[in-house]
Amino acid sequence: MKKSTCICLVVALLACVAIPFAVHAQDKTIRIGAMYPMTGRAGLYGIDSVAAAEMAIDEINGKGGVNGYMIDATFTDSKARPAYAVRVATRYITEDKVHFLFGVVSSGVGLAVTEISRQHKTIFIGTDHASTQLTVDKMQPYYFRVSNNTFMSMAAGALYLKERKATKDWTTIAYIGPDYAYGHDQWNELKYNLDRLGVPYKVVGEYWPKLFEPDYTAYVTSLVRDKPDILVSGFWGGDTVAFLKQAIPYGLLQRSLYFHPDAGGNYELMSAMGDELPAGLVLGARHYNNWPDTALNRNFAAEFKKRTGRFPTYAASGAYVGVYAIAKAVEAVGNPDDTEALVKALENLKLQAPWDPDGFTSYMRPDTHQLKKMQAIGVTMPNKDFPPATMMLGDWKIYKPEDVMPPNDYIKEKRK
Amino acid sequence: MDATFIFSQAVSGLTIATLLFLVASGLTLIFGVGKVFNFAHGSFYMIGAYFGYQFSAVWGTNFFLSLILTGICVGLVGMLMEFLFLRRIYGRANEGGFQILMTYCFILIIDDLVKLIWGTEYKSLARPPGFQGAFQIGDTFIPTYNLLIIGIGFAAVILAWYILARTRPGRVARAASVDREIVGVLGVNVPLTMTLVFGLATAMGGMAGTLAAPLRTVTPGAGIEVIIDSLIVVVIGGMGNFWGAWLGAILIGEVTAFGVAFAPKWATLFSFMILVIVLIFKPEGLFTRRKVM
Amino acid sequence: MTNDTARRISATSLWTIIILIFALVPIVTTSAYKINVASHILVWGLFAVSFNMLWGITGMLSFGQALYYGLGAYSVGLMVDYLGSGWFLPAIALGLVMVIIVSFLLGLLVIRVGGVYFTMLTLAFAQLAWQITFKWYDFTGGDDGIQGIIPPGILENRIVYYYFVLVIVFVSIWILKRMAYSPFGLILRCVQQNPARVRFLGRRVRRNQLRVYMVSSFFAALAGSLMAGVDSSIHTDMLFWTTSGEAILMSVLGGLNQFFGPFIGAAIFILIEDNIGARTEYWPLIIGSIMLVMVILFPKGIVGEVLRLKAWFGKNGGGRQP
Repeated sequence: MKKSTCICLVVALLACVAIPFAVHAQDKTIRIGAMYPMTGRAGLYGIDSVAAAEMAIDEINGKGGVNGYMIDATFTDSKARPAYAVRVATRYITEDKVHFLFGVVSSGVGLAVTEISRQHKTIFIGTDHASTQLTVDKMQPYYFRVSNNTFMSMAAGALYLKERKATKDWTTIAYIGPDYAYGHDQWNELKYNLDRLGVPYKVVGEYWPKLFEPDYTAYVTSLVRDKPDILVSGFWGGDTVAFLKQAIPYGLLQRSLYFHPDAGGNYELMSAMGDELPAGLVLGARHYNNWPDTALNRNFAAEFKKRTGRFPTYAASGAYVGVYAIAKAVEAVGNPDDTEALVKALENLKLQAPWDPDGFTSYMRPDTHQLKKMQAIGVTMPNKDFPPATMMLGDWKIYKPEDVMPPNDYIKEKRK
Repeated sequence: MDATFIFSQAVSGLTIATLLFLVASGLTLIFGVGKVFNFAHGSFYMIGAYFGYQFSAVWGTNFFLSLILTGICVGLVGMLMEFLFLRRIYGRANEGGFQILMTYCFILIIDDLVKLIWGTEYKSLARPPGFQGAFQIGDTFIPTYNLLIIGIGFAAVILAWYILARTRPGRVARAASVDREIVGVLGVNVPLTMTLVFGLATAMGGMAGTLAAPLRTVTPGAGIEVIIDSLIVVVIGGMGNFWGAWLGAILIGEVTAFGVAFAPKWATLFSFMILVIVLIFKPEGLFTRRKVM
Repeated sequence: MTNDTARRISATSLWTIIILIFALVPIVTTSAYKINVASHILVWGLFAVSFNMLWGITGMLSFGQALYYGLGAYSVGLMVDYLGSGWFLPAIALGLVMVIIVSFLLGLLVIRVGGVYFTMLTLAFAQLAWQITFKWYDFTGGDDGIQGIIPPGILENRIVYYYFVLVIVFVSIWILKRMAYSPFGLILRCVQQNPARVRFLGRRVRRNQLRVYMVSSFFAALAGSLMAGVDSSIHTDMLFWTTSGEAILMSVLGGLNQFFGPFIGAAIFILIEDNIGARTEYWPLIIGSIMLVMVILFPKGIVGEVLRLKAWFGKNGGGRQP
């Protein structure tokens, strides 16, 4: 008796494993397996990415697909947990037989998934995670990234600081950023680029609060003591909001220039803070709703708003461009099955993206598989075009991709 | 080191400590009276922040009225949770693990409900009018809102002391924490006491959420960030020891503040180190006389 | 006596069937995903069973077994990363030796306190270890984790590695089961129910608690080191409190008073997680609700309830016989 019930139990269990997931009967489909966090702190970026990817897919399928192929994407919550994401990625590859892995916000998850992509020779399109490692030392043939890496943001940041020195002299610099790989990478890359440009600077403070630290009061008062001319920040997610709100009454932002080149210019910061956001902060992001002022970009923000009722965060554009990159590659090759040809096509990718100003087209750098684009850094100023935000960026400084991409000796050194 | 910096850093530590204490006090109260370890206490803090946002930023209610309304609403939610679920596992063998599991389920469910109701975008609450500026002492600023929080924290301590020491419900609660059975035999409705204590504790957590909202980001997952730190405070102070939680919060707050100032690289490790040291040498908590060994 | 023998036979055959089913997975399917899921179930099953030696049998609710799970994984990950994949197997052994030492030293500290203080102390040590792993970026890779952990030689083959995991997991579970039903296991149960009497009987409570803590930690570490090869990558999450929490969850789901309970619980939890996670982003709501119902209505867990149902049917059926 006991035996039989237990056998039933075990058989039922295994039946569950055996149940196939979504069965794709359609022949002419480009299958994409996407993973984004949809719960917790990073959920905002995941959900925006999903909405934007779906928007791109609807646009492409609405026009009849690519060479007769329709795009079909599955989205799964990665839970921002690498071990779980590995299981999902393996499922996508072997059960759903996807042609492309797609997405991922956290670099830790990205690194775990790129390992699976390499083992199974399945192309992985990275859309949000920014760790430079993925395209430099941990780069593998089947990985491509369409959004920024931190190096590009920091190189642009260093150029900005160099230019600023010419107009308004500064000497001291302090850094505050989350205590994990992303935070450390940004600071190291900024220092590397400042050194490379020969900009002299003196570090007066380095602070490493934990990611999602709720209370920055002690950091703020210490930074007030340090009196840096430039306060470089590497916060991510909602942490910027918390830090700025706690820093404002201490007058920190008047004493030092708040400089946040990678994720500071994110729209969600502006929409969350509204009037509380001070003017004159120097911020950068991977995509802006109000720059460049091209038809494509205006249209992107407006369409997104129509679908979701809100303007997109930076993450959305990455997913949107990622889908178009896939479409472009499949268009060039003619089918989504020839992986090696698709890799070649992606290496030669040229793509008009929402973040491209007039007269420029983003292009893939073949030796790092990193999409090259213009970098812009702006200053906060009143602008009510994108409610609920009442402050947006303006007074842009634009940097060409040749000036901000990792130099060859840097790549060689890292790949050793 | 100049004196003003030490002073401003000490005030920072006190701000950190007060918000920590306001969350931890509810946690320790529930543990002391009900022997329930409420892992979901941070989630009540989070819905407190969201209720505060809803009342104050969306419906335009006065901030302090929102604070009180939030306390009432979150307290009711807490009582409902206790009445419907937690009550059913009291006295079970291996109760501790079941409590952790059940309250962990609360975390999952509350997080998702918040996402369904308010979405994933970051919400923000402005400081109440009159508390937006800062006092200036020499070269240093002390924001008035931080002082307000510290003041409310002191008021909460005094009020709680009065209730626990001088009123009948307080005495019942203290008695129940010593021996639930005897208190029941004496004619006190113990289950009702438990529900009320749970409601009071979650209301405090919720109000802490509203108070913290103007300084922090209101987002799903915000509960997880505070629960571990509050737990450290509760354990250091002695589990169930209300005063201990207060002193523990001040200890952790000040250590963090000066840790950040003088050893920023290791600042995040200090609170765990204190916890481990306390647990090894005085596991019953720094401020509790009772022995547990 | 006959009853006892019959029970033993049925338990043995149950195990044979479970082992057979897991052994057949790579033969029935070539899907890397199913093999990966089966490996996850095996590894988590071992982790949960080892955890339940502490909680279900001895009544020591540890909230920090992730420390050993992670230690096992990181000793393999770090040695493979720094010294090459040839060190995979020696790393497992070295990791286990290290865990024996660490669990002995920590065990001396944590078993001094009982009840909720034990839970908190184990949690505190595990979180401290997590913080250190997280912060020590240059050595451990911090939040990025370690990738490319490929087992050497013949183990590089996924299917061979799967059988390697299978054999180790079931041998370990068999050892644990022998322990649980040995005189040692009996004393552990007595420690849970009445430590004072154990002392009256002339047995040392602390020494037995320390022993079971070390045994549990040893097998948790073994599970962790096997996991390093399953996913080829490891991550600081393995040391985080959620990992310890999942072991508790699995034990309750399967039935913490049943020796097999946690294993079945691990299998069900992973399958639920994958199936619900694949279908909706609101998985926390659904999993939370399922678990809430389980905790309230079925405290004995799935295996416990199935056995109870069976006993109930057996009694009724017997009564109705003409």
